This record gives sequence, C-alpha cells and structure tokens, in this order.
Amino acid sequence: MHEATISFKERAKEALADPTLKLAIDRTTGTAERKRAVAMTQFPQFEAARERGKRIKDHVIANLDHYLLEFERNAIASGAKVYWASTAEEASQIVVSLCQQAGAKRVTRVKSMLGEEIGLPHALDEAGIERVETDLAEHIVQLGGDRPSHIVWPSMHRTREQVSEMFKRMHRAPHQEETIEAMVDSARRELRDKFLTADVAISGANFLVADTGATCTVTNEGNAELTTTPPRVHIVTAGIEKLVPSTEHAFLLLRLLVRSATGADVTQYTTFHCGPKQQGDRDGPEEFHIVLVDNGRTRMLREGMKEMLRCIRCGACMNHCVVFRQLGGHVYGGTYPGPMGAVLTPLFDGLEKSRDLPHACTMNGKCQEVCPVAIPLPTLLRGWRDRSWREGLEPATVRFGLGIHTFVASRPRLYHLGVAIAIRVMRLFSRGGVVKGMPGLGAWTAYREFPAPAKRTFMEMYKDQEKGQ
Amino acid sequence: MSARDTILNAVRGGLGHTAVDPAAVRREADALLQDLPAIRPPLLADGLVEAFIARVTSPKVAATAECIGSASELPAAVGRYLEACGLPAVVALQPAAPLQDLDWSGFALHDQVAPDETIAIGVARWGIAETGSLVFHSGADTPILANFLPLHHLVMVRADTILPFLDDYAAVTAGQRPPRNVNIVTGASGTTDIEGSLVLGAHGPRFLHVVIVGEQPGAQTTAP
Repeated sequence: MHEATISFKERAKEALADPTLKLAIDRTTGTAERKRAVAMTQFPQFEAARERGKRIKDHVIANLDHYLLEFERNAIASGAKVYWASTAEEASQIVVSLCQQAGAKRVTRVKSMLGEEIGLPHALDEAGIERVETDLAEHIVQLGGDRPSHIVWPSMHRTREQVSEMFKRMHRAPHQEETIEAMVDSARRELRDKFLTADVAISGANFLVADTGATCTVTNEGNAELTTTPPRVHIVTAGIEKLVPSTEHAFLLLRLLVRSATGADVTQYTTFHCGPKQQGDRDGPEEFHIVLVDNGRTRMLREGMKEMLRCIRCGACMNHCVVFRQLGGHVYGGTYPGPMGAVLTPLFDGLEKSRDLPHACTMNGKCQEVCPVAIPLPTLLRGWRDRSWREGLEPATVRFGLGIHTFVASRPRLYHLGVAIAIRVMRLFSRGGVVKGMPGLGAWTAYREFPAPAKRTFMEMYKDQEKGQ
Repeated sequence: MSARDTILNAVRGGLGHTAVDPAAVRREADALLQDLPAIRPPLLADGLVEAFIARVTSPKVAATAECIGSASELPAAVGRYLEACGLPAVVALQPAAPLQDLDWSGFALHDQVAPDETIAIGVARWGIAETGSLVFHSGADTPILANFLPLHHLVMVRADTILPFLDDYAAVTAGQRPPRNVNIVTGASGTTDIEGSLVLGAHGPRFLHVVIVGEQPGAQTTAP
C-alpha cells in the first residue's frame, strides 16, 4: 500500500545511521525476546501445542470455502451483516460507505493490521471522517503522522522522550511528570470522551469462529471493548484466513499467539463479538457488520504460498530477526515488516517494487524456529528470490556477477586457481585473524568481521594427503 | 460476478476442489481437539481454587484476591478493600441478582457506570484456573462497559464455577446461543506500548480485586 519513494538500501542506510532508532528497537524487541523465552520454560507442552496449532490452521485452509460459508451463515443468524471484498480498495470502500450511511462524523478504531493493509486509515481521512486511533501505540503513530513499525508495538520506533514531547504538544491535559505511567494516564484522559461519543467503531479480528459466527479481538489495554460498545455501529474487517472451526480451536491458537507475541499466557482482554446488541442488553451496538477480505490471500493459495496463510500475526519472527533488529519496521516499506513482511509485501505491492525484501535476510532460520505455527519463512523468501531471478528483476550487476560465478564455478581448474589466488591475496590484508581494509571488501567489513582464510585451500591440502598415502 | 462468488471460486480453484463433505470436515476438526492434556500448560496447583488464586496473584496477572465463605460476606470484604485503599463507599453495582440481593447498608450504590467511575463491583460467571481469568457474558444484568470504565474493579466469582482450562469454558457453553460479548478478563488493563515497559490502567481498570466465594478464607488471600 505504501509507495516507496526511496530505495530499500537508502532507507536502510538512514535507519542504520539513527542511534535513537536502534535504542528504541532494542528496548522493545529485547524485552519481547526475553519474556517469550521465559514463557516457553513455563509451558513444556509448547512444541506439541505448536504442532496442533499448525494442523488446525492447515485444516482450515484446506477447507476454507466450507468454513467461510459456515461462518457467514452463523454470523447472519446472529444478526450480523456480512460483506465480501476481493481487493483492498473494495474493502475500504465498503467500510467508508457504511460509515457514511451511519452519518458518522467520528469513528474510533481498534488496532488492526488488516485495516492498515487495506489502507483504511487513509480512506477514512480522505472521506473526511474523523478517525480516532484508540490503541495507545496507534494513538502515538497518529499523533506522529507516521506509520506503524511493528505489528504488535506499532510505535516501537519512538522513545519515551519523543512520546512525551508529542503528548505535551497535542494532549488537552498532558502529563506533568516525566514517567511512562504519567504519559499513559495522559492518553487515558485524552481518549476517554472520544470512546463514548463516536458514531462508528471499527475493529479487526484475531479469529473468526465458524460455528458461532463470532469475531474475536485480543487486547491488553481494554480499548477494543471501550471502542466497540458505545457507538451505534460496529464494523469488523478481517482477512479470510482468520477462520477457526470453533471457540475451542480459537483457545488453542490463543495460547500460542499471546506467548509468542508478548510472553504473557493470555491477553488481559479476550472478547468474542457475536451479532449486535441483543434484546434486553444494557449496552452494545445496534448494527454489526463484518467485511471478509481476500486481498491476495487466494493468490497465496494458487501461487504456492499456502503456508503463509497460517500466520497469526504474533510478531515473534521480527522480534528475533537480526535484520529487523538493526533496521526497525519502516525500512521494509510495507504494512508488515520483518520476515513475515518480506514474504507478504512482494505479494501486495509487486515483486518489482520490493525485490530487495527477500534479500534482506541472513537465512539463519530463527524466524521459522520461533514461529508458533511453524511457517517455513526462509523457504518462502527463497521462493521470491528465485522468482525475482526468473522474471529478470535482479539488477544487471547481480546478473553479471552471478554470470561470472557460474562460468568459473562450472570449470573446476579455473575455480581452484581462482580460490588459491584469492586466499593468498586476502591473507595479505589479514590482521589478528580478520581481513581488514581490503579493496572491494569494504561493504562487508565495515559492519562485519571477515575471518582470515586458511593458508592453503581445501583442495590443495586434500591433494597433498592423497599423494602422501 | 459478486465479490463473494469471486472469492469462493478463487478459494476452490486454489484448493483444487469443488465440494467438501461437511461430515468429514467435522470429524477432522473434532480430531484436532483430542488429547488436550498433552497441549495444555500446567496448572499452578492441584486444587482448582488454589491454582486460580495462584495465577490471579502471580506477577504476570498482578491482581489481588481473597476468599470468603458466603456471598453475604461480600459487602464487608468490599468495605475492607475500600478502607485499605482510602476510598469512599460510593460504588457502581452490577445490576445482577447475586449482588443486588446482598445487604449493602452503609454504601451509596448506583447501577450506571460513569466514564470516570472509581469503583465498580461485578460478578463473573466463571473463573479459569489456567489463566486466572474471569468470564462475563453481556446481557440485561451485565453491561459490557462496567468491566472497562472503572478504575477499581472488584469481582465476585463462585468457587464452584472455576473451570480448569480455557477450552473447558468453550465446552460448557458449546451449543448455546452466544451473547453479544463474551469478555474474558485477565488482570487489570495494561500496556507495553511505550518502550515495552508494562504500565497498568491504560484505558480500562488499573486495579482488579477478585473475591472467591465458597472457600474458607485461607493463606492464599492477598491484600489490595
């Protein structure tokens, strides 16, 4: 959804040069990684639960048409209205129209990555509808006029000092004390009346429960329920992959989701929304609308990316990614950052615009290891690299370099000669076990160590040994 | 073609099938719920009430809890809580019979929860030992906002409604018409959105105090 005006490499360079950003990323991802590790030790059955979670998602995907229809039937029976949208534009248009039909001046929003993916904040702003983000992090993003940089902590790129400055400038009754507690309080005061006076509430869904027609949101702040209860109209937008067969299946996945995201056992607030306010209810919306969004998901089914539909959006892959932890989320240029973003963004924005993303990966496999539904992210990233090569999207320099490599590597004598010369030249530039200041290698050694090579090549040593016998 | 047909056709095309056998899908879905003990986290104690209290008062949930023998002791327990916190005896009481039938003399009661309500008292339908959660169903005697607007939320739950695991709640309510909202509340409202550090009282309650009815007061009780 986001046009990259400057290249990935330039954005990466800017991010690497920003010491505040690195500090902000480390504070949040470091905590998340530690807390998840502790949660794992307290749940010895996690591996078995993870395997089950993976099978639940695979089962749903294999029967997606069945579950979509079951969900639709039950949601309608509960009094909800169900809409279908093939594209991001269609989905946003449906939501904006529903807001306009409701005569909405102000809408409150619960953080939803699907909402970001379909460009809903922008569509509401364009339509002249006042949009109030109620998740604290999204509130910070809205005040800062930028974009989320993490799927669980969207304002992770902001330090407490920056947040404090924004709140003081823009809140009606800002904090007086420089503590995070006081800042949270300031946001509580600022948003209170907005929750209660909105005309429409918009949320996403962590799960769509097929056998009840309910949608499920999980939050820690309680902003979802404060958002979705007072307005007359509640609209849910959700990707079609969010389905689960029943509430019981949802709970099995919830255990994986929360531990992987924050290290907690369960979110403070887990809420199932089923239909509008019922007869006799004290509060709740009169109208409940659910928009089911495809936006590339059926393409994933067709194009060999089915496993990515298992993703439950926990963010563990980015918290544990060495590249993300250097760059933060904005550099990725799409709605979803980190490893899962590098898989999804080429699908949404086109590979020609985002071919750098699948390359921004060391293939260390950590993302797959921590993924609660065992998505083979490195394999999917390799798939994009492969496709980028086949479609001729790799730049001439890369094609030329790889051409030379192929020429040499497929001629063993030439290859052995080249390697024998190369290691001897590299040893000339070696100091204390690492290569330093060698022309042509600066881009690597500026940020990383390049160990000094052995005195002789493997083949040279191997041949000597053969002779000796 | 409608977006609905486009999507359903694309799903079927992607999966390479035209029809599914609902009974077979059902059997497969049920099979995924077998052998649950192998994929559940351990409870913190052998007894359900003990495990529930241990979780409610653990640092992760960070709520407080106490036990009383019968519901008639609730007003006194609330009185002690308010005194300990230095709060006036002005409370929003959930309009539910198990609470309204009690003797609240000495308290100023109202049933509408104000946006800046200080104290609200509610009753949960179930407790979950696995997570230390309280389960509410919205309805005529359970306003949804009553769980989210107050600063101090005091919740009564009967010991015999404490279930072991989250999926036990799903099992006991399976087949019933769901309410508009099922609210599963675990601890007070919190946020880690500023630099990952946990702060309580983000938008919802800052303090959650759980009163378990039907167990003799014991050593597990923690002060607010």
